[in-house]
Formats: sequence, structure tokens, C-alpha cells
Amino acid sequence: MTSQRRVAVTGVGLVTPVGNDVATTWDALLAGRSGGAPITLFDASGFSTHIAAEVKGFRPTLVDDRKLLKFANRSHRFALEAAEQAMRDAGIRPTAEDAARWGCAVGTGMMTAEYDDLAQTHAHCGMSGELDPVGLLDDGPANDPLVFCRGQAAEGLALLTRRFGIHGYATSVHTACASGGQAFGTALKLIRRGRVDRVLAGGFDSMISPIGISGFCLLSALSADNSTPQRASRPFDATRNGFLLGEGAGFVVLEEWEMARARGARIYAELAGDGNSLSSYRITDSPPDGDGPIQAMHQALGDAGATPADIDYINAHGTSTPMNDRSESAAIRAVFGADVARVAVSSTKSTMGHLIAAAGAVEGVVCALAIARGEIPINANYRDPDPDCDLNLVVDAPRRQRVRMTMSNSFGFGGSNSCIVMRHPEEVDGRDGAGAAR
Amino acid sequence: MSAPKVVITGTGAVCAAGIEPQAILDTILSGHSAIGPIRQWDTTGWPSNRAGEIAGFDPRKLVPDRKLHKLIRRTDLVGLYAASSAIAASGFVAYRDALAPDQVAPYNDRTGAIVGSGGGNFQNQYDFFPLMSAANGDMPAFGRELADNVNPMWLLRTLPNNVLGHVGIQYNLKGTNACITNHSVGGTLAVIEAMEALRAGEADRVVAVGHETPIEPQMVLYYHRVGLLAQHTLRPFDAAGDGSIFGEGAGALMLETAASARDRGASVIGQVLGGGYASEGQGLLAIRADGDGLVRAIGLALEDAGLDPADVGMVVAHANGTRQSDASEAAALRTVFGNAMPPVTGFKWAFGHLIAAAGIIETVVALAALKANVVPGIATLASLDDGCAGLSVSAQPRPPRSNIALVLCRGFAGTNAALLVRTA
Repeated sequence: MTSQRRVAVTGVGLVTPVGNDVATTWDALLAGRSGGAPITLFDASGFSTHIAAEVKGFRPTLVDDRKLLKFANRSHRFALEAAEQAMRDAGIRPTAEDAARWGCAVGTGMMTAEYDDLAQTHAHCGMSGELDPVGLLDDGPANDPLVFCRGQAAEGLALLTRRFGIHGYATSVHTACASGGQAFGTALKLIRRGRVDRVLAGGFDSMISPIGISGFCLLSALSADNSTPQRASRPFDATRNGFLLGEGAGFVVLEEWEMARARGARIYAELAGDGNSLSSYRITDSPPDGDGPIQAMHQALGDAGATPADIDYINAHGTSTPMNDRSESAAIRAVFGADVARVAVSSTKSTMGHLIAAAGAVEGVVCALAIARGEIPINANYRDPDPDCDLNLVVDAPRRQRVRMTMSNSFGFGGSNSCIVMRHPEEVDGRDGAGAAR
Repeated sequence: MSAPKVVITGTGAVCAAGIEPQAILDTILSGHSAIGPIRQWDTTGWPSNRAGEIAGFDPRKLVPDRKLHKLIRRTDLVGLYAASSAIAASGFVAYRDALAPDQVAPYNDRTGAIVGSGGGNFQNQYDFFPLMSAANGDMPAFGRELADNVNPMWLLRTLPNNVLGHVGIQYNLKGTNACITNHSVGGTLAVIEAMEALRAGEADRVVAVGHETPIEPQMVLYYHRVGLLAQHTLRPFDAAGDGSIFGEGAGALMLETAASARDRGASVIGQVLGGGYASEGQGLLAIRADGDGLVRAIGLALEDAGLDPADVGMVVAHANGTRQSDASEAAALRTVFGNAMPPVTGFKWAFGHLIAAAGIIETVVALAALKANVVPGIATLASLDDGCAGLSVSAQPRPPRSNIALVLCRGFAGTNAALLVRTA
């Protein structure tokens, strides 16, 4: 497989609970400044959990196409903004000539209805507790094409491909919390297959709504540390008790390596390997022994032509739930063996919270930045060691070191496991991100 | 090293026209559409009230494991049924279970599942209505009374990737996987991605599934409001065509490398020869009149399969009955085939538009039709629309030009997929 096309990350964009751009988010991740706070988007005081990591003070600034924004829900707006950041950062956009050689691969959220729309429909034709279909005929939201479009699973993709004029392979994937990672994996394969040369890849989600919070509260998945929201997410800590719900978007521009070099693009990292497995255990849990995630990590390493010894940083799925962190630790131990003592691990969910369908994409961007900047963000809020999670966690201070390769894990409800491996550009062709020979 | 050949060792399908591929083909060949009045709710006064509903929908017949019924939705039931049918037809489970114990886990790791799913629906959201009534607009009360009014498993029932997760658990599939939520092209993309995974050596076997049950009040109303639904009859390419009609159901294909099938002496139904996919990027509902995306998707599929247009024995068109889609599809087919048009047909007139399941169930039926050496007619076609001139369509069955079918599929966001399959 020596002729396999390589893939470069040449642009990044972020809208997260700790910053509405890449630089602000990165500073917060290094400092471990949590985005957790009481929920402001609605009155959540009655819920068992009323804290979350909201995106703060957000207003689309780079994308001001009002016609387009009319069709965009909150998560679509995050997506448009983060994608625009990534495109500008890469300094390239589809043209009429090469539009068909551009793809788009996104991890999208669950497409639940907006609460306000649902409440209107309820008041109009659902007061009995069940829908009265006849009443739907003159219900406001049920007859509003904009509500329809904003709620469609393909709407995010429609907005992105229209905004940027992408005419090649365009796809949305949803494997719950693994969606963002699977979108990166899909994008990698598209460029390798030669069907496209460049892909806008990412993930976006926003479940901080009465319906979204309800879904997770009912499953007791969220930390209920309502009085200490900034400490609520503490992955791998012995006292962890659930995740902190986040929202946002992460995007990258991916390019075939030689084309990126030829145009003098700044290369953050190589998107080098993808691993993808099913746990087939339970819908909500990973098996305690790490079966499932182990195969995804092995595959990603093999796909990248790497071994555990090559990996310097693991951005863990690390949700801060008792089960996930134990299972993931077991998987990391199984895959890394003796290297587990050396490889640095952090879960940036400790600061950003869990961005669900956007998580894998945002954390993929984190890995590209770790390589490009030689900095490893911290696993915030870690105090009490859990013997089941004896990893080389980055605590207290970020590490400044050369990062040759990274691994990013994302595991979803439903049992899908995604693992993404990235490589420093110098490890690919001996030239740094700007193209200078070492 | 050339990529492995991708063979089909099992298929499954369920829709209004039948609960297995041959029965569906028989319905189509009979010339009678399975589309009828919607029965799931009282449609008196509704502007559109017809659909292809599965008659006598019985969850227990579709998914024997009754414990599962509380955890999944109608759309998941049909998806699991079709997947199970394809897996059963392939016979790989019996072979795996007879392997030496240390070979079973590697076999499962090399077996994947890729699903095209419709994503969310509206009916699940109404599960919050009793809570909303109890809270009476008071949001703190909504939060406090949540657990007393909503099923704790609500979020899990709502997951768009339930078929993927449950097929995996039921058959212990642990390999490559995806859930594609790309409106109508999801099912076809599942086949294309499964084919690519097998070619790239990511897996030896992948079950590809597409499923959707869009027939619910709010969905019907929206599609009507945006002008996509027919009054009574789905008439593709017809001068009297006035829109599409929903169907419900699922399709599935068990795909394997030729080596995987050979190792256990599996009987091979057919082969996936190639796929192509392109988007137009004009927005959610917009379609280019010249069929640009479809032309490129077909071109990519032919190139991928190493075939010429003349090799195509029949075209199973998207043929969804909306004037804009039909006319642009006809334009695309004229561009690709010119004066050498193969027989063109479509199946939605007989069981409706299955959205995420449309392309994959039509692939399954296309294989059955090729096996029977027949291009089924479009029975609702009376008078070819001027905008669709040049298509070789007929209300009557005809013989195919070869044993290769080109199956087309189009979706929201200007997405277009083309798949080439052949019978063994």
C-alpha cells in the first residue's frame, strides 16, 4: 500500500463552551478553565442536573448570510461558523472548477425538535397528552417549512455544501458520541479512495435544551454536581459521577498531502489512521475489559502504520462517567502495554464538557493543535486517583513537548467506537508544518 | 494487488408490497400498487392521505425478541427485520458458530454493519406531551416531574443508530460500522460504503441496511406543504404526475468478499460492481434542472465498475413522481445514455418512497428482477411527460439488456447516488 494517498489537516475551526474560536479555546484547554456553569438557555432549576457547558456569547460573525441563517438551528450556526474559520485558516475554498473534487463529511446531532416549537404544537393539539392529528392541520410549527428544514437530518449538510459550494461526496453520519470521529474517518477514506482531493470534515451538536437535558437526566448520565459546575467533569477521578453536557462544533479542512504541500499550505498534522469497531455489548455501556475500543485503537494504529511506541498523546473519550473511564483505561492498558506509563493522556471533556456528536471532531482538532503547537492540554479537575484508571494523566500543568503522534478516542451509545490517529508533518516528509526542511 | 470482488450472499426487504424480495417483485409485476389510504391515524380532512403502509404491521412478526420492543421504534423494527433476513439468507452465522473457539472472535471483528437511517421523527417528541400538560408551561415543574411522566429509556428509543447497535448485539458483529443519516441516499450510501470497506480490507463481511417509516402526521403535512406529495397516485415520468407518496420499510444486503463467501461455500446472489456519489450544493430542497449531480454520480459509478453505458441492462430510476426530480433525472439519463437508452423503470409507484430505505430496497428488488430476467413496468404510467422525453419506459414488463442494473437514488441537500449491481 505504498501508493496510498496521505491526508493533511490544513485548517481548523472551533466553537466550544470555552471559546468561540480556536485561540480562545486553546488557552482555556491549557489552563483547564472549565466551561461548566448553571444553564442559562432555559430555566433548568427543576431538573436533577441544571448545569452544562454552554457556548457563551455566540453570534455568527464570519457567516452573515441572513437567508442561510434563517434555515439554521443553534447547532447549524455553530457548524457554519467553525467551518468558515477552518476554510479561512486553510486559505482555500472550492472553486467552480474543483467543486466536484471537494467532499463534506459531518457528524450531526440527534435532530430532536426545538422545544419552543414542540410546546406550541402541544398547546395547540396535544393538551390531552396525545397528539390530535386533526389539530395539526392548522398548527403553526407543523405548517412552517422553516421549522421542517431546520429539523431535517440533512440540513446541516445542506447549509455547509451550499455555503462553500461543495459538489462532491457529501455525507452526514450519526453514531451518537462517536459521530465526529466517524466523520473524520469517513473523510480520510474519501481522499484515499481518490474520489475527492479535499474534504470539509467536522461535527456539530447542541442538546442543551429541555428535551436534550431530559433524555440524559432520565438515564442518570449527567453529573448532578449542581453547586460546583466547574468541577463536575473530572474524567478518571475516583469521584467522577457523570458527564457535563456541552455543545459546539469543530471543523477541519483536509487535503491530499502532495496538493497541500504543492500550494504551500500550512500543515497542522497528517490525519494518518482511522479505527472503527462495534462493541456489541450494551447500548449504553462499554464492556469493562475494553473489548470493542481495543479493536478500534489497534485498527487505527495499523491503519496509520504506527505502533503504540509512536504515540505521544491520547485525547481520551474520558466522559467522566464511572463506566466509560474504567473501560477506556482498560482498553488503553491492553493496547499500550508497557507504553502506558509513558504516553500522556488527557480528556479535554474535563474543561469543555461532552459535545456529543461534535465531541470527536472538536477533539480531533485538539490533537492537530497539540501536534502543531507542541503542547498537551490538561485533564482538569483530577484529584483522587482511581486504581482502575492508572494512566499517565496530564494534570496540574500542560506539557510542552514534541508530539509525534496523537490518538483520539470516541465511543458512542449504540456501541460504535472511533479512533483517529494523527502524525506530525516532520514524521511524514521531514518538513515542518510550514514546509521548511528540518 | 487488485481490490477484492464484492459479492452479495443474502438480501432482505419489507414494505407495503411484501415482506420478502420475491413477494415485492410479484406485487410490482402484478401491476397493482400497494399504496392505499393511511390507516395509522384518521386522515379525514387531510390534503394528502395515501401511503404505502405495511399491512397488518406486527412487531412480533418482525422482531421476535419482545424485550426489545420497548427499546426501539417502528423504523428500527423494520430495519432489524430486513437485516436479520439478509443475514439469515447468507448463512454466515451457522458457519461462524461452527468455527474453532479461537477463530470466532477474529471472525466477528472482521464482520461489520453499515446502516442508512432516517434519523429523528416527530412521534417520539410527543412522548413529552403528558409532561407538558402536567407542567402547564412551568419549566421548573417540567424538570421536577420529568421522571414521573417520561419513559426513562426515551433517549435510547430515539437514537438514530439503534438498528446498527442492535444488529451488532444480536449477531455479535464487531467490525467496521457506520450510521448514515443522509435523507434518501442513506441506504444506497450504506451499500457503497460497505463495498468500499470490503475493497479496502477493513472487513470481510458487512451487512448493509436502510430503514425508514416516515408515515406520521407531521411528516406528511410538511412534505405536503413544501409541495412534494401527490394527491392520489405516484406517476413517475407521467404527464399527470403530481408528486411523491411515502412508503415505509427497509432493505438489506449481506455483502462479502468473494473469498469470505467461497470459504464457506456460500451461494452468491450477485455482485456489487461499483458506486458513485455527488452533490449539487444548492440547499436542502433545491434540485438542478440539468441533473448535474446525477450525471456525475452515474459517471463515477461506471468508471468505478469499469463499465460503459452500453453494459447497463436496466436502470432502476429514483422515479419519485415529483415533476422536478423526474424531469432532471430524465435529463441526466439522456446525457449519459443518449440514443442508446437501456430499459428504464422505477418501483416507488408500487410501494411508495421509503426515504432512507428507498435506494437499498430498490437494489434488492432489482436483483430479484434481474434473476427473473425482467424489467418490471411502471403500471401507473399512461402518458410520458414531455420533460421526460427520450426515456425508455413502459407500463409493461420487458427483458433487460444484460444482467447489470444501475440503481439511482437522490435525496435532500442535492445528493445523488448511483449503484451498479449484477446477478451471479
